[in-house]
Amino acid sequence: MHLGGSPLHFAQASEEITMRSARTWRELPFHLMILPALLLIAVFSYIPMAGITIAFQKFIPAKGLFGQQKWVGWDNFSYVLELPSFGQVLWNTLYISSFKLVLGLLVPIIFAILLNELKNETIKRSIQTTIYLPYFLSWVVLGGILIDLLSPSGGIVNALLKSFSIEPVFFLGDNKWFPATLIVSDIWKSFGYGTIVYLAAITGIDPGLYEAATIDGANRWKKAWHITLPGMRMVIVLLSVLSLGQLLNAGFDQVFNLYSPQVYESGDILDTFVYRIGLLDAQYGVATAVGFFKSIVSLVLISGSYFLAYRFAKYRIF
Amino acid sequence: MSGNSTKSASTVMYRSPGTGKRFDWFVVVNATFLIVVAVLCVLPLLHIIALSFSSSAAASAGYVKLWPVDFTLASYDFTAGREGFWRSMVISLERIAIGTPLNLLLTILVAYPLSKETQHFRFRLVYAWIFFVTMLFNGGLIPWYVTIKQLGLLDSIWALVLPGAVPVFSIVLLLNFFREVPKELEESAIIDGAGQWTTLWRIYVPISKPAIATLALFSMVEHWNSWFDGLILMGNPVHYPLQSYIQTIVIQMNFGSMSRDELLNLALISDRTLKASQIFLGSLPIIAAYPFLQKYFVKGIVLGSVKG
Amino acid sequence: MNEKKRQKYYAKGVTVAMAAVMLLSACSGNDGGNNKEPAKTNSSDTNEGVTVGNSGVAEPLGKYDPPIEVTTVRSLSDVVENNVLGVLKDETLEDNRWSRVYEEQLGIKIKYNWVVKGSDNSDQYLQKMNVTLASGDLPDMIPVNAIQLKQLAESDQIEDMTELYEKYASPLTKDVLSQEGKSPFDAATFNGKLMAIPQVDPSIERSMFIWIRTDWLDKLGLQPPKTMSDVLSISKAFTEDDPDGNGQKDTYGLGMTKGLWGGAMGLEGFMAGYKAYPNIWIENESGQLEFGSIQPEVKKALQVIQDMVKQGQIDKEFGTKDGGKVAEQIASSNIGMEYGEQWNSIWPLQLSKDNDKNASWRAFPIVSENGETPKVPQKFSTTKFIAVRKGTEHPEAVIKLFNMHLEKNWGDTAEFDKYYAPKEAESVWQLSPVTPAPPKKNLEAFRQIDAARKAGDMSTLKGEAKTIQEKIDLYTSGSEEGFAVWGWERIYGPEGSMGITDQYDKNNQFLLDKFVSAPTPTMVERKSTLEKMQNEVFIKIILGQPIEEFDKFVTDWKKLGGDQITQEVNDWYASNK
Repeated sequence: MHLGGSPLHFAQASEEITMRSARTWRELPFHLMILPALLLIAVFSYIPMAGITIAFQKFIPAKGLFGQQKWVGWDNFSYVLELPSFGQVLWNTLYISSFKLVLGLLVPIIFAILLNELKNETIKRSIQTTIYLPYFLSWVVLGGILIDLLSPSGGIVNALLKSFSIEPVFFLGDNKWFPATLIVSDIWKSFGYGTIVYLAAITGIDPGLYEAATIDGANRWKKAWHITLPGMRMVIVLLSVLSLGQLLNAGFDQVFNLYSPQVYESGDILDTFVYRIGLLDAQYGVATAVGFFKSIVSLVLISGSYFLAYRFAKYRIF
Repeated sequence: MSGNSTKSASTVMYRSPGTGKRFDWFVVVNATFLIVVAVLCVLPLLHIIALSFSSSAAASAGYVKLWPVDFTLASYDFTAGREGFWRSMVISLERIAIGTPLNLLLTILVAYPLSKETQHFRFRLVYAWIFFVTMLFNGGLIPWYVTIKQLGLLDSIWALVLPGAVPVFSIVLLLNFFREVPKELEESAIIDGAGQWTTLWRIYVPISKPAIATLALFSMVEHWNSWFDGLILMGNPVHYPLQSYIQTIVIQMNFGSMSRDELLNLALISDRTLKASQIFLGSLPIIAAYPFLQKYFVKGIVLGSVKG
Repeated sequence: MNEKKRQKYYAKGVTVAMAAVMLLSACSGNDGGNNKEPAKTNSSDTNEGVTVGNSGVAEPLGKYDPPIEVTTVRSLSDVVENNVLGVLKDETLEDNRWSRVYEEQLGIKIKYNWVVKGSDNSDQYLQKMNVTLASGDLPDMIPVNAIQLKQLAESDQIEDMTELYEKYASPLTKDVLSQEGKSPFDAATFNGKLMAIPQVDPSIERSMFIWIRTDWLDKLGLQPPKTMSDVLSISKAFTEDDPDGNGQKDTYGLGMTKGLWGGAMGLEGFMAGYKAYPNIWIENESGQLEFGSIQPEVKKALQVIQDMVKQGQIDKEFGTKDGGKVAEQIASSNIGMEYGEQWNSIWPLQLSKDNDKNASWRAFPIVSENGETPKVPQKFSTTKFIAVRKGTEHPEAVIKLFNMHLEKNWGDTAEFDKYYAPKEAESVWQLSPVTPAPPKKNLEAFRQIDAARKAGDMSTLKGEAKTIQEKIDLYTSGSEEGFAVWGWERIYGPEGSMGITDQYDKNNQFLLDKFVSAPTPTMVERKSTLEKMQNEVFIKIILGQPIEEFDKFVTDWKKLGGDQITQEVNDWYASNK
């Protein structure tokens, strides 16, 4: 289609312009609302993002951010890939974080539904507050407590196992058990905090739906399945997609405080690995390269699921 | 078994499933299970509290489990006298007082336009991705520090508040909540002559209280727990938020890299009861925030606000 | 004053919105290039030059008139914050007895660009130092570690101190800093130029001892060890003969942590008994340097430790326990022996005493297999260097601070009780931005005390020796406070660990780490990988894997960069001979 020429076309075009400007005018408040936040992320996120270039440098802090750093292309990436234990570390990361992702989604959902079934408000609120407590203890502190709790000789957990005549398990020192210990203790620490957003979603469900279902004779399970769960659907889908972006984060603080040379084999993850090769010797190029690699993987996973959700469910996550 | 009794049982069943008139095994099992889990969650904190009230000799030997051994208030006495501790707590509270409202305001302002359909707001997808990308990519520690430094923010509370002022995760969450607001409400408001700003503040915000309360909690917790930015961005320990202050006393011990001076210091700071009392006091305010916010998690708020 | 600071603290926020907009508009063209601009404006606010017209200024302790300002950065330990500044109410980090001495006597005002809580070796301090270096906003005096120093020197950012040191260092400073040999200076020398002043940290303090619970020894009728087989039988007896008399088999012979090495509950001293010196570089007969960890002697030592674990003499769970956790076991009377440095009686052993008044520990010299005098390995421990930013008006100021610090503590005008360790605040010396000390000062103090003890006249003691003797007296008085300084008596008392250091020194038993430079290129790349592999293999062997794993480790170590590192280390060694 070409523009200009006959008067008719001209009129059409100008009408289009008026419509457009009316639309622009109507959308102006939206732009204004976004503006302050846009400025802030431009300054605090996008400008520093230029630092990703460090991933392609042999970066030496003492030479300065804008100093004469040596460009090394993809060397930092190949250096990490070629380190002897990289494959093992990547596998540990994927293994530990996949379980954390799945259970980290399921457990809070189940607890939110179970809590929702409690009718006594006081008990319900007390339990909610209580399960949220472990989230506030750092892994340094919890690490010391877990070593005691899980000790094969004096720990309470193994004492329990013993009373069922199960052989003591060295949870923190046995490569067979260490990843599972990481996963379970992480879920235990954070599930209470995770339920909060689901509980908020449940409060948004119209109580009328439950009343109607009760009248129709639906039992507890039916109501949970047909009303509560669909009511949380949006949050569930959303958090699942967003958590995919965490696939390469298996939890630095936790692993760092719980692992030991004995369980490097099963417990050393990407972040602890980078910490040891990167920070202590100030190899910021390598650390940035790994960070960049993680970002790309997250981007691929999230946009993949974003477009799939749109394609098949006509649902835009954001 | 008579026909009569069968009939009455089924009537009861029909009349009140789940309303608790009848003895209900599920309710009992469920409540018991949840209480057991809740107890498991409270144990570590109890241990910390017990440590903080124990004598330091008993604590150092690991004798303290869930109940204080040789009860003493010594560690609290000592903590009470630590000016730095209380100063840091005030800064953490300030950080929340400024940071959380700012987070919420920006979250609401961005989430609202982005919750619109593309036909109502042509640029929404562009904006959405601009914001989203910041969740995934960052330039790392050094560029982040240099940017904040060049803005002259080092050593001011704004360094703790502004760099994270736009919580993209919260925005995505809230825009999804906003989408669930019934369209009729908005339409009737617009017919009444309300503009976008009015619609946002009069309809969307009140109706989304539970969601906003959740995000407020997330923001408070985030601000309270952050310690790394405080340590790096504050040039003077007088400006540390509480968790930065506590972080410096709970580190893991690594003898390999300690200097002689530090080794001598070790003897003086390894008092575990003191650490425990600071950890406990340091988490108290944020733990207390949750029950307070729970009042916004009331069912039926959707209907209530529409009527009001 | 405080109010003003607070206003500034808030006022910055007001300018932020504007700054943000300006920065944004400046960057609208392209991102990369104009980031430079703010950096430029920032670097222009360096100190105004002050001309020095005083002839005395060239003296090691001469005064600047008018006074000059020197910027630096520092860490602030919890101890200084609470046990020093918390006690001395009229002193602050900026204004205290040390800053006053420097200002009044040298005309040097110290200004801290930043202060970070914690220790100089914490990750946070390291990160903060690195971001400071990267942001280009260097202070005049830059306290750095070996890696940072090397980077600064190679990027030509710091002053050559060679001549300044010759000219300005006082005889006392020169004497003190050379007592550790030339290693600390080698570590700070690049292309023949001295690029920083090393804050010499004494290796001698890192000597290893066997700390043994003597009440258990007595109870079981055992003698102090003379050979490694004595050590092993003590360990066995402590494990099996119920030394705590509670009828339970709940004690261990030897304490160990998951970190394997280090100044408390470490293995270096034990392995030295088998002539194994892991983690340090040693010279072989042909004058070449070799890495201690891969020598066959280590294999032998590992085998012995493996057997001890098998027999329950070492906690099978040590592999998950850090120092704090093992200290708990010591405190609760579960462990009766550990290898560690001279200060161990203060921590963790005092904890054992706190819980059991009858517990008694004593340091014994490490022993060898056949009873001959063993070598005591020492890691090179000078890790802090003070570099000076290139273009600083008075690069020599740092040397004067060194001079003054040493003078006030150990010189002719020393006021030890005021500047080093006054009773009310024993760590007062840490208020100074530079803290050099004679490497053998603790040993000297012991020798003085010991001589006085033998002469029966304590009145001659002064300075540090006097302060320490007062602690010992306090302990022997049997008072409540005395009980808390039991650890000091164990170091400086008649049977203290310092007496053994003295003996080590006189017998020339020390075996020094021969590689003292900043890490070589391959070390930077591979050291953490090799270290991980080493500790993983060692722990697995100790916990029962076949000892042959060690041979595989040696092959792998060499293949994965070890050979190249050895080559680089030897090149360095040859060029520094």
